[in-house]
Formats: sequence, C-alpha cells, structure tokens
Amino acid sequence: MTNPVTENRRHFEDLAVGEVINLGTTSVSKEMITSFAREFDPFPFHLDEKAAKESLLGGLASSGWQTGGLSLRMLVDNFLSKIASCGGLGFTDLKWKAPVMVGDTIGGTATIAELRRSKSHPQWGIVTLDFDIRNQKDKPVMSMRLANLIECRTPETAA
Amino acid sequence: MTRWFEDIVIDEEFPLGSHTFSEEEIIRFASLYDPQYFHIEPELAKHSHFGGIIASGWHTVSIGHRKMVDALFSEEERLKSEGKSPGVSGPSPGVNSMDFKVPVRPGDTVSYTLKVTAKRPSNSIPGWGLLFNQITAVNQRDELVYRADLVGFSKLRDYRMPLKLKLLLALTKAPVLGKLIKRGS
Repeated sequence: MTNPVTENRRHFEDLAVGEVINLGTTSVSKEMITSFAREFDPFPFHLDEKAAKESLLGGLASSGWQTGGLSLRMLVDNFLSKIASCGGLGFTDLKWKAPVMVGDTIGGTATIAELRRSKSHPQWGIVTLDFDIRNQKDKPVMSMRLANLIECRTPETAA
Repeated sequence: MTRWFEDIVIDEEFPLGSHTFSEEEIIRFASLYDPQYFHIEPELAKHSHFGGIIASGWHTVSIGHRKMVDALFSEEERLKSEGKSPGVSGPSPGVNSMDFKVPVRPGDTVSYTLKVTAKRPSNSIPGWGLLFNQITAVNQRDELVYRADLVGFSKLRDYRMPLKLKLLLALTKAPVLGKLIKRGS
C-alpha cells in the first residue's frame, strides 16, 4: 500500500552517494539560547552571561543539543521533508567543535555518505549523512553522521 | 556541580527519573526542531508505518540531557549538605553513538539511567578530565528507547598546573593587565 504523504517524494532509488544538501543558515539569538537551556540544559553557562564568561565556553553559547536540533531542522526543511523519510535510526561521531555564541549564524551541508537496503525490512533503505556545520566565520562548530530510514520504490527487488 | 573527577566511580548507576511525553509537547518540540509529518501531524501520521505521531528522537534525548543536568545539581546539593565541596561539570565535546530503538508515543513514560563507563584526564584542556557517560532510556514496558555513549568534561580537584603553563597563562593575561594599568593612571 502506498503512503499518500510520501508517494511523490524522492525514494531510496532516487538518491546517490556524494549528493550534497545545502542546509542554508540559521541565526542564533540570546532568547533562543536561554529558552532552550531553561527547558533542556540549565547549566549556568547556557543561561547567564557572567557564568558563561568564566566557563570553558568563554561566553553565552547554545546548548550542543540545540545546535544539533537546529542542524536537524535545516536538514528537515531542505531534505527530509522532500524524501520518503521513515524516521531516524540514530547518529555517530557527533563532535561539538566550537561553541555557538549569541548572534552567530550557523549553516553548512549534509553529504550522503552511504546508501544501503535494510536487511530486516525489504521495503526500507538507510541513508547516512555527514553534517558539516560552520559559523559565519567558516569555523566548524559541529559534525556528525546521521542514519535515517527511507522507503524504497521497489521493495520486491531487494536482495 | 556534581562530584570532582577523582570521586567519580566507574559503572556506578544513577537513576535519572522519568518523563511522560504528552502529544502537545511532542508537537511543540518537533515544530521547532524536527517538523516531519509523523512528529507534528496526528492525522497524516496515521499513514506512516508508526500509525500515529511519535516524539522526535532529538526530543527524547534532550529530555534525557535535562534529567542528567538535574541529577548533577542534586548531587551537588547532597555533597553540600554533607559539608563536602562539590566538583565542576563542563560542556560536552561530543557523542560517540546514539541508537534509537523503539519510538516514543504520546502518553509514554520514559525512564533514564546514567552510568560513567570510563574516565581519563583531558589531553587538550589542562585541569579537566573526560567522562565517558552512557545513558539508557526505557519506556513503561521496559523496552529500550535509546542508548547513548556521550563524553563530558569534569574538573580535576587535585590538579597542579605545571610552571610552563602558568607562565603561558600569565602571558595571555598581560595585555589586559596593561590596559588596566593605563586606565588607572
């Protein structure tokens, strides 16, 4: 049975290793940083300017989970909402390389690193994406390798 | 907050408590960070293989992080109440792996547990150590929701800075000192 939400979107067979997805950019305000931190990461260095200056971060910076969430949002807008996505499987090698400070603009690319069919579910494939997120000075702030499930157009040909 | 690096016990388990996910908060989080139809559109989500909306994995993980931060603050309070000095937690350099297993649906209650599986002094930041933290999350049916291997910084209590580094630090502060002297005169 076809899924009416995803039938006209790109499927597993439409993707190729090496495809680069431009993620666009997102600006990070103080209000965004403190509202996320209050709910999910209430360390003083994400909430308070003075505590942040004295911390390893050197100033008010976003929670790494927020940086990741904003990167995910950019991937959804530019890729996952245009493919027959069936949800995320997880990620590996997430590195927070530099803090994202108030007023920074982050953006970058996600590159398809791997495509393979699911062994247990012939109707699904797995797309693996390498994130390269940088700030406005082109300094890398985050990288990770994300794995996402995607519908196959022709599950019956699965090996 | 929490303990000093030296006082962290390997493989000691800390229950971090639980969280019940409402449909409203699942949609609110995903609308900001993961607006895929099976996270934010209850009617459309019925067409997905999930059969209804599920929480973004990033949401269940962010709540798990909050639970860990709360536990670090509680540990600080406990140590203070015993008259001991608490340690200092720092930011995290990254996550080695995150595996999402069963999805979280509206009404599910997820319980989180933290375990430090290894630790070592940092090579890049003197005076700090690295903790290798494992968080596991299970639902009310005891099914694994996710397992994460995370890395965190923790301050060393017994660190003595080598003379060479002390000199280097003094040099980096010199221009600021210079400015202050000028302002004073």
